[in-house]
Amino acid sequence: MVRIRLRYLAPAIALLLTAIGGACSSEIAVNGSCAIDPNPELACGLASDGAFDPSLGLVGYSCTGKARPDEQATYSEGIPSGIMCADRGAVGSEGKQGYCCTTATTQCAYNPVSDCEAPTYGYQCYGANRPESVNTAIYCGQGIREENLINYCCSGTLQPDGCLQSDAVRCSPRLSGWTCSGQNRPRAEQLGANKSRADTYHLLCPVPTPAPNPVYNNYCCYPSALVPIGGSCVQHPSVPGCAPGRFGFACYGPDRPEENYLPMRCPEPGFPGRSAEGYPATLYCCDFK
Amino acid sequence: MSLRERLLRVARDFWVATFFLLFVPACGGQAIAELTYVCGTVPPSAPAPGVCGAGDPLLPPEPTLPTDVCQTLTSDKSFPDENNLDTARMQAALTGCKGRTVKLVSNGHNNAFVAGHLNVESVILWVDAGTTLYASRNAELYQKTGSCGLPGINDSGACQDFITLSGTRPGIVGDGIIDGQAGEPLVGHDYSWWQLSGALRAINGSIGNPTLINTASNTSGVLLYRITLHDSPKFHVKLTSVPPNGICERKGDGYIVWGITILTPRRNMNSQGLFMTPHFARNTDGVDPGTTDIATCGVIACNTISTGDDQIAIKGGHWVSDLIIAHNHFGTGHGMSIGSETYGKHTEGSVTHRGVEKVMVYDLTIDADSRPVGHDSSTADSNGIRVKSDPSRGGLVTDITFSDICMRDQANAILISTAYNPLFPGNMIPEFGRLTFENIRHVSCMELKQPVVTLEGFSARARAGPIKLDNVVIDNIGPGAVAAEFADIHLGPGRTNFVPGGPGVVLVNEMTGNGPPKECKFPKLPAPELPPDWLR
Repeated sequence: MVRIRLRYLAPAIALLLTAIGGACSSEIAVNGSCAIDPNPELACGLASDGAFDPSLGLVGYSCTGKARPDEQATYSEGIPSGIMCADRGAVGSEGKQGYCCTTATTQCAYNPVSDCEAPTYGYQCYGANRPESVNTAIYCGQGIREENLINYCCSGTLQPDGCLQSDAVRCSPRLSGWTCSGQNRPRAEQLGANKSRADTYHLLCPVPTPAPNPVYNNYCCYPSALVPIGGSCVQHPSVPGCAPGRFGFACYGPDRPEENYLPMRCPEPGFPGRSAEGYPATLYCCDFK
Repeated sequence: MSLRERLLRVARDFWVATFFLLFVPACGGQAIAELTYVCGTVPPSAPAPGVCGAGDPLLPPEPTLPTDVCQTLTSDKSFPDENNLDTARMQAALTGCKGRTVKLVSNGHNNAFVAGHLNVESVILWVDAGTTLYASRNAELYQKTGSCGLPGINDSGACQDFITLSGTRPGIVGDGIIDGQAGEPLVGHDYSWWQLSGALRAINGSIGNPTLINTASNTSGVLLYRITLHDSPKFHVKLTSVPPNGICERKGDGYIVWGITILTPRRNMNSQGLFMTPHFARNTDGVDPGTTDIATCGVIACNTISTGDDQIAIKGGHWVSDLIIAHNHFGTGHGMSIGSETYGKHTEGSVTHRGVEKVMVYDLTIDADSRPVGHDSSTADSNGIRVKSDPSRGGLVTDITFSDICMRDQANAILISTAYNPLFPGNMIPEFGRLTFENIRHVSCMELKQPVVTLEGFSARARAGPIKLDNVVIDNIGPGAVAAEFADIHLGPGRTNFVPGGPGVVLVNEMTGNGPPKECKFPKLPAPELPPDWLR
């Protein structure tokens, strides 16, 4: 619980420190600054016919250094408040970064300490509206609930999925086949609309099997299982010695993967190692039964 | 909860309600709109055949029971004996009687049939009055992927249906009962279908339990008439059906659901002493048109539905069009819903149809029934009218009319939401078009919380509407209980007792009338059996 609360507070603390730093020193000059920029290169607030549509509530900014227009977000009674910006890349010839931002404050806060992988960046939002609802220029991935807030990783450009659910990958009827490029791994959000209640985040996927095209890997994944409260086993995509098609796990506690994921059978005993996140754990290599 | 605790709770609720009734309207700074507690029920409405819907010019004539019985099967048991299944003889009769009718009848105390998966292809199954067809509790009889009946597996396709309708003009009729037994332990296990489903609640997972009655793709002319359904392991009825000749000459040519009763759970307590609540009966939608494939030209009329999920959910994952939902009464459930899948596309020649369109819902009561729904229920456990989708599954919903609808004690009276699940991304942005609400009333009896109205489009670029509100009166509503955004809303001509506003809302107020709100009476609905020693 303490860990969760610290995670919950982290963006607010980071924002607070940023604000304090900004107020008490001349760091702004080092970090840069932002200003409203009507530059049409930003293509901000345009309707589908290309004309400016003020009802979209968007305005362009350009920033120097590492500054962002949305850094001044705040939290009031746990509810974030700030503008939301879609990055537009470099604008002009002075190395400025462009953004397309909401004119009104939203119930989202830019999260400077998110886990999002570049080029995406994080927002922490309150309420049912996805970020795309308030800023039509932004694209965000699957939301992840964190108590009353939802964390999103977003970008001003649509990010490729990297994985495609594929019937061409031969799997047991209880597993779903996937083809992924590079190091991408299947995510439940990519199940798409064909699953009425695919409202879960986790997919349990094995060590990948190389696809005929070496750029891709194949996976046979297990739609999320119930993990009992207190279960300590998490999936580990690269347990040493775990062959392609088998499922790797790292257990932090004394429980075994079979206890957490009922269709799993782990014939070999566990051995000490580290989880994918780098923590000491007992590692297992298991099969789906 | 002990009897004493229950009595104390009733007394507490009574005094709290009395306090609000007597004092709050008088001393509050702001008047509470239209707060006139409407409790009680009128006598059971179960009309004699031929009465409900009679004279409604939009409906076809009420169906009739078949006269062409091909085989009559007589029960040889008085309880659902898992060691004496009727699957083989029933399936043989159904297969041999295509185009005609198979009738199940009782013989004195022997009034039960029990079976595993059944195909009802181009044949009518008639369950006679006093006779019950039980779905076997043996999960292996429904096995499809190997996961059927296993806990902790989010595999929605794991089991076969109990009954699959297919072919031309299949049907299930009669005054008998089909009981899914989903609250009872499975054969060889100490858990039930509902416990399997409940175990996935925390991850919003979907258990692969059998659907009680499903329809295969390319089915036409489905009929469900007067049958009573209890305790489905998952959805009760999934409808996929079109007119046999492909032409919707009159509503009902595609499918008719008329005069059926769904009551789930059937009992307040199962044979193991476990409390059965609608909340416990997870994912037990009543009637869902369009789930498996397209559904057109349908009529759902004169039915009574109390269950643990949406009483009716129109699924637009393929295409649903030309549907009348009339003269129905709902008890517990998650609402008269459209969605959340609305992304469907269906191409006929050069025309592509989409989502959900041309639906009329009228003469409906939705009564939360003051029944407890379970200790861990949420606001989703009692809803009135819902149109729901999100960008992972959104599409077109238009030309929908809700009229002459009475609701009582719902948490969400009206919910138009394009953010049903904000977690999932996607580029299938919901397109909610013409949605009309006429002569709608929500009243309060036991519920002290204000009912909520939500009218929300997706964004400034993807607005909802026009949403027309004409004589929509929600008792006990206040400004804080109305949420609206990105929507074009038209008020009038009849009075609506709230004014939606919010970001991106364009409001046209043409209210001219000040007539009375719709008068509401709620019929006494079938209720679960109480344990024998409980107070009544």
